[in-house]
Amino acid sequence: MAPQARGGLIVSVVGFLAGIWLFLAPFLVEYQKVGQDWIDATKNDLWTGGALMAISALTLLLFAAFALRDAARAAEQKNTADVEES
Amino acid sequence: MVKYVIGATGALLGALAGAWLMLAPFALAYQSSGADWADPTFVDFWTGLPLLVVSVVGVILYVSGLVEELRRRGIMRRPYAEPAGQPQAHGEPSAADSGAENNMEQVLLPLVTAMLKDMQERDRGRDETHQETSNNVQQARSAGEEGSVRS
Repeated sequence: MAPQARGGLIVSVVGFLAGIWLFLAPFLVEYQKVGQDWIDATKNDLWTGGALMAISALTLLLFAAFALRDAARAAEQKNTADVEES
Repeated sequence: MVKYVIGATGALLGALAGAWLMLAPFALAYQSSGADWADPTFVDFWTGLPLLVVSVVGVILYVSGLVEELRRRGIMRRPYAEPAGQPQAHGEPSAADSGAENNMEQVLLPLVTAMLKDMQERDRGRDETHQETSNNVQQARSAGEEGSVRS
């Protein structure tokens, strides 16, 4: 895998972790009391964190899928070339 | 190639989310300007800023990967392939052209190999036919000589 792709994947994982943190932060930092109505900051953090998790997960999933497709194509082309040479 | 476009889009959306997190406390007015920052403001700002920086780095990485891929496929040319002060002569093949040439060679190699094999087989067949003909002529001559001796 190219170093750029590896770095990009790490960035996507960091984005996913940031999403989890945002989702939990109102309750961990305790500016949202459990059982009370959600304040604006909590709603914002939950929506932003959820969106971030979804975007990062989708990016990772699609990246892995297309990387696998490219690898399969490369292997197929190599096999065809080897058969033609022999 | 598509994977890099998807990655760059994801990283760009991450950067936008980071920027929104930095602005949200003021945009949604749960942090009044001039007052001490509340806990939600601290959390959002200090999550948004690193997220923005990391996502921008991600966009750069994905885009550089995409550019590398395009260059490898010969769609884009390297800007600094030739040393400065030595402009490339018109009609001289560049790195991308040599890559295309290699591809062309790989495509043509099996065809040329098959043609060579075909030619060799044809030559072999011609040689065999020639040998058979000369053997027949020799046999006919020897038979004629034997006939003249007997008579």
